[in-house]
Amino acid sequence: MISPTLVLQNTVDGIFLGLFYSLVAIGLALIFGVMDIINFAHGDLLMLAAYFAWLGSVDLSTDPSITALLLVPTFFILGIGLYYGLIQPVIGKEPLIQIAVTVGFGLILQNIALATFKAEPKAVPYSIFNFSYSIGPLTLYASKLFIAAVSLATLLALHLFLNRTHLGLAMRSIADNREIAQLMGINVKKLYALTFGLGTSLIALSASLWMTFGQVQPYLGTSFSLISWVIVALGGLGGVVGVLYSGIIVGLAESLGGLLLTPSARMAVVYVVFFLVLWFKPRGLFGRR
Amino acid sequence: MHLRLPLPKSILLETALLALFLAAISALLIGNAYYTLLAATVVLFSSMVVAWNVIGGYAGQLDLGAYAYMGFGGIITAELWIKTGLPPIIGIFVGGAASSLLAVLIGIPTFRFGIKEVWYALLTAALVVIFNNIARLLMGPFDYYLPSDSGLLYLKFNNYELMYAISSAFLLAAFLINFLIERSKVGYYLRAIREDELAAEMIGIDTRRYKLYALMIYSFLLGTMGYIYIVLAASFSYRIFDSSASLSIAIMGIIGGLGSVEGAIASSMILRSLGEYFRSSFGSTFPGLDLLLYGTVLILMGIFQPEGLVSMFNLIKRKLGVMTNERDHP
Repeated sequence: MISPTLVLQNTVDGIFLGLFYSLVAIGLALIFGVMDIINFAHGDLLMLAAYFAWLGSVDLSTDPSITALLLVPTFFILGIGLYYGLIQPVIGKEPLIQIAVTVGFGLILQNIALATFKAEPKAVPYSIFNFSYSIGPLTLYASKLFIAAVSLATLLALHLFLNRTHLGLAMRSIADNREIAQLMGINVKKLYALTFGLGTSLIALSASLWMTFGQVQPYLGTSFSLISWVIVALGGLGGVVGVLYSGIIVGLAESLGGLLLTPSARMAVVYVVFFLVLWFKPRGLFGRR
Repeated sequence: MHLRLPLPKSILLETALLALFLAAISALLIGNAYYTLLAATVVLFSSMVVAWNVIGGYAGQLDLGAYAYMGFGGIITAELWIKTGLPPIIGIFVGGAASSLLAVLIGIPTFRFGIKEVWYALLTAALVVIFNNIARLLMGPFDYYLPSDSGLLYLKFNNYELMYAISSAFLLAAFLINFLIERSKVGYYLRAIREDELAAEMIGIDTRRYKLYALMIYSFLLGTMGYIYIVLAASFSYRIFDSSASLSIAIMGIIGGLGSVEGAIASSMILRSLGEYFRSSFGSTFPGLDLLLYGTVLILMGIFQPEGLVSMFNLIKRKLGVMTNERDHP
């Protein structure tokens, strides 16, 4: 019999994990929502950033979360470069072509990582958040708390950015109607580059956070890509809030699924939930346009 | 429209050419067991890509679930032999039927709710992960072996040349089935769906039904191939449900050119053989060079040659003046 304490502990862990997943998926949701680009290399970019975070924190002997200060601007520029080199040629083309190009890019990243860092997982030897609190029967790890807080704060900031600033509103207007936005004098191409850069820098942030408790190996991206797409599908382009809720649903499904079945079947639970939602609410839980 | 024979001469000719080509390769490899086994796996892989062409190429659905159907059918065939003694020569059809049934169970709600493009791709990719997880739960982390019997009844030989011949037979069968579909009403409807699903529906095609047919044929073919895959791999485990391998089936189909059987065979054979060559030559100094190659080819194709290899073939054919309109792919 599973004790209620364990269920509670897993629920809390699931919510924390879900907040982090939302942060991972939000870059993808932004890129897909604004640019209609199907990016299957999302997770592989995260893997790349995670290696940089690992290198940075080992070389500078700091916590990986601090490397984010360096990685976020770097990946913003990298994202803009990627946009012009790789994404712009396939904008507006068939979904299959976009998938092919981004899958190809992901394969290249994976195998360069494999050749450079070999297959064994790398983890950061220390973290400044390596302690925990006990609240009653619950144990809260400081690192998880920190990650959840940063994720939530970033999502909130992004929400405000998209709803309150001129630039954010311009992005949303492209998502709504590209032609009319263009007529209103919005430079769509420039804004696309910016959106891709922003999405990529959000990946760098989540990768830095991931390295405070996780490990990186060349195939880390595959599971993150799939999870991010699952969250985007569940969220149904309902904005930041939709991604936040669906991230938490996925986090809870994984955490409680691992507890109630076995840890090795936890992803099956997530994907079964995904199947059911896609079947019965093809527009996502939180409304797709 | 004029009536066509079920199998016109040009198709019989192409099939004969393919058979000749496969035979020539086996003659070249005689005596080298390692290369013959490798060739058998390349040919089997190629037949999986040709099977994928039915759902991906003709119907235009980006299916990333190949190894779910392949593994499901293969494990059922193998288990039937181990548990009930049913010889695989019959068992593969049971395995294929089981895969097809699975495809119906998944396909009906999927097509009913209009899930397509990226969402269909994700759904099928998730299917492989679900099967991987469930199989690990049911089978544990162990490797299972087939009985040691061999012979035609078991479609299993200790001689690699014969295994190569079986793989070739599967490729030829998949090749012919593709042509039969291409020439049939189903094939025309499927291509209409691929070009414009909404328009296809408007002119009265039951798109859900025909996509389901394509999925059933594809999964049946893969289900029968699963057992041969297990024989070539010499054992089976939950790892047969492999996400990245499923992805590479779709990759070969895309690189070959959607809806082109010849393109599918060419891309899968060339790239898989090159990949194996890289793996054996540089695998220790540069692991993953084979996949790096796939990635580069995919990007270049996607940006510069979105119609795939087949458009290059057609260009060559047109230059040589042998292009006939009947098999021109738009």
